[in-house]
Amino acid sequence: MNALIAVIMGAATVYLAYTRYARRIDRNVIQSDPKRATPATLYMDGVDFMPTNRNILFGYHFKSIAAAGPIVGAIVAANLWGWLPAMIWLVLGVAFMGWASDYSAIVLSVRNEGSSLSAVAHRLISPRTRTILFIFIFFYLLLIAGAFVGIMAQVMDSQPKTHLGMILLVAMGLLLGQMLYRWGVGLLPATALTVGIAFAAVLAGPLTEGLFKGLNEFFNSLTGGSAIVTYFDPTLAGFKGAEAKIMPSLLFWAIAICIFCYAGSVLPIWRMAQPVVYVGFWITAVAMILGLLGASLGTFIKPEVAQFQIPAFKGWNPQLGPSGIMPLWPMLFVTIACGAISGWHSLFGSVGTARQIESEADMLPVGAGAMFAEFLLGLLALLAVTVGAKGPPVAAFANGLGGFISVWGLPLEYAVSLAFATFIVIVLVVTQLIFRVMRVTLTEWLGEAIPPLRNQHVASFISVALAILLVLTGTWIYLWQLFGAANQLMAALSLLLVTIWLASVGKDWLYAGLPMIFMYVTTVGSILVTAYNLYFNVYVPNLDAGRLLPAVGSGLMVLVAVLLVVAALFIGFDGWRAFLKYLGQPAAAARAATARK
Amino acid sequence: MAEETKPKKGFLGALKDIVYGMSSHEMTRHAVRTRASMEHLFILITMGDLLGIPILPPYYSLRLLPYVTPQISSWKRRMLRERDVTDVLG
Repeated sequence: MNALIAVIMGAATVYLAYTRYARRIDRNVIQSDPKRATPATLYMDGVDFMPTNRNILFGYHFKSIAAAGPIVGAIVAANLWGWLPAMIWLVLGVAFMGWASDYSAIVLSVRNEGSSLSAVAHRLISPRTRTILFIFIFFYLLLIAGAFVGIMAQVMDSQPKTHLGMILLVAMGLLLGQMLYRWGVGLLPATALTVGIAFAAVLAGPLTEGLFKGLNEFFNSLTGGSAIVTYFDPTLAGFKGAEAKIMPSLLFWAIAICIFCYAGSVLPIWRMAQPVVYVGFWITAVAMILGLLGASLGTFIKPEVAQFQIPAFKGWNPQLGPSGIMPLWPMLFVTIACGAISGWHSLFGSVGTARQIESEADMLPVGAGAMFAEFLLGLLALLAVTVGAKGPPVAAFANGLGGFISVWGLPLEYAVSLAFATFIVIVLVVTQLIFRVMRVTLTEWLGEAIPPLRNQHVASFISVALAILLVLTGTWIYLWQLFGAANQLMAALSLLLVTIWLASVGKDWLYAGLPMIFMYVTTVGSILVTAYNLYFNVYVPNLDAGRLLPAVGSGLMVLVAVLLVVAALFIGFDGWRAFLKYLGQPAAAARAATARK
Repeated sequence: MAEETKPKKGFLGALKDIVYGMSSHEMTRHAVRTRASMEHLFILITMGDLLGIPILPPYYSLRLLPYVTPQISSWKRRMLRERDVTDVLG
């Protein structure tokens, strides 16, 4: 097996699923009608509701849903179960569930006056569902933030060659904001300067490796080389588990990332968050395009970088630590989220993309099209980790992607440096935006009851402190799976809403209902497995050893897991009652089509 | 803004749109939102005259009103639209 065959198979999946299944559902079930007015045209306010060209919207939606999910998930899954189960899930997931979830969330919002998922839940199910959904979304964001900060701190601490690139990326983002919004420099020259310098810094990373290694050693010498926190990490020693240490240098990078995210959360969005995302976009786009093309051509030009190296299948239930279990079902289906199906896509599609849809004919190419593009990104990440077997999981991904990029003549060392930087940039830009959203969510949710939370600094600080507490437990693999479960549960809840809406308007609900049942049962099961692993692998041993922080952190995560299950059961129960109600007597929920002028 | 009024774009035009959508559309949306917030404040200071209560000296209000009037309908729609926390994601 090599990368070329996998790329051809991925392209065939996209073609067949889009033309043979998605189009049929769009035509026969949803019956999208280009003459029906969309919320963007009906309620155009020039701001939130704005008819936008389908190509622009495709790019916007794809970029907004393509984050670290497809990359990290593929890395973890390939290392746990082998590349074959991961690839099968990616293909089947996107073909039968992923596109349906993304597309349907947009359809739901477009056909309900641009309402968000929670507003539709309030109308179709019950007010309680909406409240539970809000609480769920906050914990969901907390899990993403904790998982991403943890992953980034580990990579930054272990890869000093990436530091220069990341520092200059932030600096160039700040400079770009200043140039565009204060000095009035044109977009093209400002982009050329800032992206050029950031690129040069990323590529020059290996030259400054010694300098930053010395910095890390200096921090570690402050405690005489001893750890700040010790915990049991079940992922070490080939998943047999061993004691792991949080050294001062890792804590330094975790805090540095949090300060960056804090600044991104409280500063005006044009000052930092947006320009950093913009500069980062160009770095990741170039690396991904070179990587995808390199994966396709590598078989002919440089065959050694395109051969699969890790086992196709590693087992149905690899053990995780002394007491942990990782059954392929349900854990694979939450470990790989975004490349196959993801709740984030639905959430974003309903409030961001749906309000800009110009014509109902655009819903499929934008919603389903972007999901299929995301699948290709997930496939690239899986290929990279499958061919680059050297080092720990993230390093394997960077080695693999670096190998693909090196097909174009760039020396391997620099290509790997670019691949590492790409990984960090993707995670970093998403994390700073998540903290911003968390801050707003916290203020909206509890600001009335606790007035200090209306202060953006207080809300941001609490969000960052909660994420740091999760990171210091050191068990990011659990955090990732808990995030994956929350993410997939969000997808299941989105499909549940779509199913209820389809029943309420008398349409065939099976294309959304069957994936919903699978994802709902799978994710609730996976949350229970993760809680079990957290309890027996982390909480009990650390409590017995008297290590307070990991015990508190893992205890908190078990509590979050239980809350997620309770929230899912409440929403599922309310949703089932609403479904039965509408199934018996479809309401006249479908508003009469408003003709365009 | 309707697509049918625009000339058809070729492959390169579509590619340009996609790259714009990925790289800059979000920045544009935020800039537009910032402008909308400023305009809301502007409407707020001239609100008195809309209601017939002179808060600002009438001379300045009358000078400002022509700039406000075209935006009243979209302002009203934005102000009265139901919102929730998930709106910040978009």
